[in-house]
Amino acid sequence: MANTSAAEQAAQERSLAHLKHYFVSSDQQFDAAKMGMWLFLVTEVLLFSGMFVAYAVYRVWYPEVFAVASTELNPWLGGLNTVILLGSSLTVALAIHAAQTDKRRALVVNLFVTVLLAAAFMVVKYFEYTHKFHLGIFPGEHFAYEEMGQRIVPIFFSIYYVMTGIHGVHVLVGIGVLTWLALRAMRGHFHSGYYTPVELAGLYWHLVDIIWIFLFPLLYLI
Amino acid sequence: MKGHHITSRTTLLKVFVALVALTALTALTAQIDIGVFNIPLALAIAGSKALLVALFFMALKYDKPVNALFFALGVLFVVVFLTFTLFDTAFRGDLGNVGKETIHSMEEGAEE
Amino acid sequence: MTEDKDRNETPQGQAAEERGDYVTHAKSIGSWLFSLDHKRIGILYAVTVAIAFLLGGVFALLVRAELLSPGEDFLSAQSYNQMFSLHGIVMVFGFIIPAIPGFLGNFLLPLHLGAKDVAFPRLNLASYYLYLLGVALILVAMVAGSVDTGWTFYTPYSARTGPSVLFLTMAVFIAGFASIFTGINFIVTVHKMRAPGMTWNRLPLFVWSIYSTSIVQVLATPVLGITVLLLFLERLLHIGIFDPALGGDPILFQHFFWFYSHPAVYIMILPGFGIVSELIATFSRQRIYGYMAIALSSVAIALLGFLVWGHHMFVAGQSVVSSVIFSLITYLIGIPSGIKVFNWIATMYKGSISFKTPMLYALSFLVLFTIGGVTGIMVGVLAVDVHLHDTYYVVGHFHYVMVGGTTIALLGGLHYWWPKITGRLYNEAAGRLAALLVFVGLNLTFFTQLVMGSRGMPRRYNDYLPEFTFLHQLSTVGSWIMGAGLFLVAIYLLVSLFRGKKAGANPWGGATLEWTHTGPRPDPHNFHRTPFVTRGPYEFDRIPELVAAHRDETPPDAQQNVHLNQDRT
Repeated sequence: MANTSAAEQAAQERSLAHLKHYFVSSDQQFDAAKMGMWLFLVTEVLLFSGMFVAYAVYRVWYPEVFAVASTELNPWLGGLNTVILLGSSLTVALAIHAAQTDKRRALVVNLFVTVLLAAAFMVVKYFEYTHKFHLGIFPGEHFAYEEMGQRIVPIFFSIYYVMTGIHGVHVLVGIGVLTWLALRAMRGHFHSGYYTPVELAGLYWHLVDIIWIFLFPLLYLI
Repeated sequence: MKGHHITSRTTLLKVFVALVALTALTALTAQIDIGVFNIPLALAIAGSKALLVALFFMALKYDKPVNALFFALGVLFVVVFLTFTLFDTAFRGDLGNVGKETIHSMEEGAEE
Repeated sequence: MTEDKDRNETPQGQAAEERGDYVTHAKSIGSWLFSLDHKRIGILYAVTVAIAFLLGGVFALLVRAELLSPGEDFLSAQSYNQMFSLHGIVMVFGFIIPAIPGFLGNFLLPLHLGAKDVAFPRLNLASYYLYLLGVALILVAMVAGSVDTGWTFYTPYSARTGPSVLFLTMAVFIAGFASIFTGINFIVTVHKMRAPGMTWNRLPLFVWSIYSTSIVQVLATPVLGITVLLLFLERLLHIGIFDPALGGDPILFQHFFWFYSHPAVYIMILPGFGIVSELIATFSRQRIYGYMAIALSSVAIALLGFLVWGHHMFVAGQSVVSSVIFSLITYLIGIPSGIKVFNWIATMYKGSISFKTPMLYALSFLVLFTIGGVTGIMVGVLAVDVHLHDTYYVVGHFHYVMVGGTTIALLGGLHYWWPKITGRLYNEAAGRLAALLVFVGLNLTFFTQLVMGSRGMPRRYNDYLPEFTFLHQLSTVGSWIMGAGLFLVAIYLLVSLFRGKKAGANPWGGATLEWTHTGPRPDPHNFHRTPFVTRGPYEFDRIPELVAAHRDETPPDAQQNVHLNQDRT
């Protein structure tokens, strides 16, 4: 930080507007925020871990039932959603790249594309859910699909609904946050000297992607 | 900000292509039955995808190591949670004849 | 970097001197309720936690009073169940988890680090209000009635009993988030907000213990979140994951619950270790013996604590393989705990010990925590636990750790930092008398329970066989003595607020930054200038010069060295 060029100093001046008084420097503030976000992601991982443990326990107990029940899920739709989420991860990474290189237009466009992809994910999810409700595949006690076993199959679908449901809630939260950031980016709130919120939202969004990367094979493919 | 690593767009695109390829791979391998290796293979592919996302999209590779340490710690404790729970559920009823087989035998019969 | 520093420090340093200390600089209610100042948020926690403690204490006294004689006295079996459930839930989630981190942790952590505030002050305030909301929802569930699950919410009973379980799970979920956010905030604060020169081996041991606690909060509490969320869904939609009637496995719920709740007992006790380290060092006038051993044993306990949860489930029907593994690892916890106790004793060796009230609590802690720890190893023994499980022995063990450990440490810390928080001294004679009353009452209450439990008195019963009458009566009398002692504490502390002698900046001769570098009550922004740390936290031989240097307002090298503050992991 000591020998900064004039341009960099100008960028720093702008960034100081966001500097909280209890931090010494923008870097300290940025690092603190990022570390906080990583710790939050750790809590998210452990939140989901409970569902993965439930999945593993029942799968070890009833591998055949799980294999049969998962044939009700459409791997094409699951695969489509996987690619959609991977694409949205790419666009959010590109958005951060744009922010780091002071390309406001690219930042806004990439954020909005991310939101669109996230919305597309939810639309696909909506069709999957309604199709299952139509068949009478409800979680747990309300299971009313006569083609399959009535004892353990409902638990598979309970786990399916809980996992994808909580994941879906995270996607919805992501849509909200990313839209808000896109609107702020349009007003020029972010630049190479200050893009902490974009960085943090990006980390969150990648984690949502990672969770889905595991959900897809575990639920749809086996 | 000075000192922040900027991942190039080409790297990001390459990672994306690799991720889509791995998705196709996992979908393909799911079609063939390789017995007990089905799940390890699927999880290995998912794991490498997750690693790609974490290292490049989330830039852990270029970040301060402490963040990677925290994340690894979180994953480690997921493994602990899973393994120690399976120590119970996979060996349930190892003493006496009160296993889940006994308890669930009638229910399993109803299922098939 | 200098321009940043100038921009931040000089105006505030001057303003702080004009404004007065953190209590007097702003007076409106809003300036307290919506303050982002970690010290004021700490006070908010203190008040709320005290109310929760009072409530939980009244429930406990009612439970003990009902047990004064066999048979139903003034509580029906149903209301007895509600009473002990509420005692447990309010005490665990409302008092003992947030008490030390929320109150003393908030107040002291930035002061100990030489920082102006925690890393995320707004998140800090949000944590407090989430916690408050959680406690409020617990009270709603209480008024709505029939919470009779105990604090453990075991399925299938909790999936079938009264609807207020819904409120409770929500309350616990929300309070859990408060705990998570506090943990994240504190970890980042310790990593990123340390003053120049405040290296990891110069951190006060209280900071180490809060840091370890925060790790547990971050890693364990999310699992509590998903557990109560699944329980919520179990009740609402009957998803069947935990409900045997629907093919689910109730023991799985216990795994989920204890994956959080066993580490949670370390969330409760670890901050207590930190306080005791501070008390013993200051009142023995000695550098802590084995500083790194104590610091790292906190981290070791935090991590090992995750590997032992199954010792709560030895008779629940889990597999024998897992019981053996969990039992073995449970013994290991004894090692870091023993390291701490031996190091504390070694610290006192040849020290010039002064038996002030806080030190009396620290000494009580050593005795009581040792009893709690040793009885813990005993219930961790697989074969012995089959006999002792669900008896008063477990109740006695748990309370020796939670009351004899955490609460005693909290009381010690409260007395130790009272002058720094309020600027006043309490009545020392009353303090010592109260410490004695609490010590005697506590042992009378819970030692009798250990005896009863080993003779087979089951827990959670509102009735008992006549041969237990005498022991139960002793226990109840003990609870009164303890209650009287705590009542006395409340009275003389409140009196000291108005009539207590003014305390100086450093009444005990402590060597951590809050004593040597702030006034009787700290400034709104803690320090006039960011301290430049050149020594460890327990170098008592250097206090006079330090305090003198602080008075002269000439911190050596502070100006040039502020840039050390950055690029720290």
